[in-house]
Amino acid sequence: MKLSTQILNLLTAIGCFAIAGIAVTHFLINEKFEWIPESALELVRDKALLERPEAKRCSECHQDIYEAWKESRHSISWTSKTYIEASDNRTKEKCLACHIPESVKGEKPSPRLDRRDEGIYCVSCHFVDGKMNGPYDLLALPHPTHRNPDYVRSSFCGSCHEKTLKEWKETGVEDTCQDCHMPRKKGRLTQKLPLSLLHQKKWVGNHKFLHGDLTAEDILMDAGFKDNFFNLSLLNKTIPHAVPTADNGDPRLYLYITFFNEAGEQVDQAKEILAPQQETALAFNKKADFQYRLFNPVSQANIVLKYQPAWSKEKELVWEKSVRSEPK
Amino acid sequence: MKSASKFSLFIVITLLMILPAQAKDMIIKEPPASLSKYYPPESKEPKWIQQMHKMSTHFGGVFVNLKEKDFENVDKHADKLVEEYKKTSEMVPEWEDYFDVKAAEAFAEAAKTHDIAKAGKASGGLGKTCGKCHAEQEVSVWTKFHWPSFHKIKVTDPVSEKEMGFDDYMGQVSSSFKGVTVNFGEGQYDRSAKALKTFKSQYVELKSTCSKCHTTDEVKRFYVGNDADTAFAGLAKELNAREPNPGQFWKNVGLLGKTGCKHCHLTHRTYSFIQETWEEK
Repeated sequence: MKLSTQILNLLTAIGCFAIAGIAVTHFLINEKFEWIPESALELVRDKALLERPEAKRCSECHQDIYEAWKESRHSISWTSKTYIEASDNRTKEKCLACHIPESVKGEKPSPRLDRRDEGIYCVSCHFVDGKMNGPYDLLALPHPTHRNPDYVRSSFCGSCHEKTLKEWKETGVEDTCQDCHMPRKKGRLTQKLPLSLLHQKKWVGNHKFLHGDLTAEDILMDAGFKDNFFNLSLLNKTIPHAVPTADNGDPRLYLYITFFNEAGEQVDQAKEILAPQQETALAFNKKADFQYRLFNPVSQANIVLKYQPAWSKEKELVWEKSVRSEPK
Repeated sequence: MKSASKFSLFIVITLLMILPAQAKDMIIKEPPASLSKYYPPESKEPKWIQQMHKMSTHFGGVFVNLKEKDFENVDKHADKLVEEYKKTSEMVPEWEDYFDVKAAEAFAEAAKTHDIAKAGKASGGLGKTCGKCHAEQEVSVWTKFHWPSFHKIKVTDPVSEKEMGFDDYMGQVSSSFKGVTVNFGEGQYDRSAKALKTFKSQYVELKSTCSKCHTTDEVKRFYVGNDADTAFAGLAKELNAREPNPGQFWKNVGLLGKTGCKHCHLTHRTYSFIQETWEEK
């Protein structure tokens, strides 16, 4: 046999073994990882990962999740200017548990003393009882991983967002917190080779913890003039918790009403603040009614709804409408 | 003047001069900075007060068990009391003179005789050390560490939408309240009705202010709750009526004052005054 044929055969054999090896590894890692003895896994475990690592360390493998989290409010729960101001330079005890949680497990967490600048970080939510926890049972070589179905349940978020969880439960809507605020996309849990290739793609939640935009489809308005009163009602039609919602923050909807006479001159104005802390937020699918006494003849009311998140002093326009009185 | 009358006058004047000096005064000084490390946020938990509870439990534990003749537990509590007392005495260097470890040891020794009379007698010496510190420092510690400062609270006025300090804000609330009552008193009902809108929005805003410290809605409702809602509805009803009923109007003003303003002022103002004094230093 020619030397070149021998080399070709050898390369073919190596290739076949490599493919078979990858196939077996893929099968083992994704389907039958329980066959791999723990003693063998111990050899490749990185013990430092089970000592409450910083988020940057997690990012060495979970790059995409880390990048999303970095953009989230969770990542700045301890360092945000709003929080520092609102908590009297972080001295308010009531804020600590949820702004620097040690371990989130479905009940009010305890505050932690280490890595406070990382806010609500990877370890806060995923490190429980000496293991990394998440929604999947899978083989992660560097650290043991434990599947916990609570990660896709609203009750998990309710550890801190207690009032919002209560509001959501009252609506009877099935979509969970995660369905709206952590929409899932098929992707890799890790971006580090070779695990990124060996693991099957999974549904991965968005760790930016999205905060939806309000529109005229979400908050409906009905208004009209009667006698010397202007009556207006608002309805939160689509969002299955109060709008706005917060346990301790102070987000608000501002409703501005300006009244004009026939000549187009402003004759009066009114304002409503719809805020969870004032118990005036808009409950799901429940009309909120307002009435204004008109002291002067009015032919038109302009109504503007603006939203101010808890972390900002800026207001965003939600919608603007106007209502004309019927000619007498 | 007869000599007896002169003598009586002398006694009265002397007593008037002496009595105030002998009265027990309380001086409320800001606690030392070193205590901060035993309270959040420097500490995970309020360790100082937990330490007080530990000592109190062991002290009480001695007597509970002496009465029950559970002498094994008497000895345990006596030993633990000395241990915690020593530990506490080292926590705040500025306060070490309040502690008398020998008195704690003497109490433990007396307790271990299992004679309740002896333990009671020895507790006096130890109790005095606790009492002196409590008399001089307890109010200060509670004011500093258990009552968040009002003067650092910022409130956004719902009318002007400007952020201001709490004291200034309360000034605004007070002014708008006067706009309601003064105009009503003058029979200017439309002006009073307009002022009521402002006052109500500023008053209800206080719910947000409460929530800056309080976590439970029930606390907020204690100040701005159903009674306030009833009062505001009653005031609006009178002001929107063709002929407002002054009796009903003032009744609702009173309801608001008694169930809202007074609740909060009685609870918070004293501590707020003390904090204000420290903050002005």
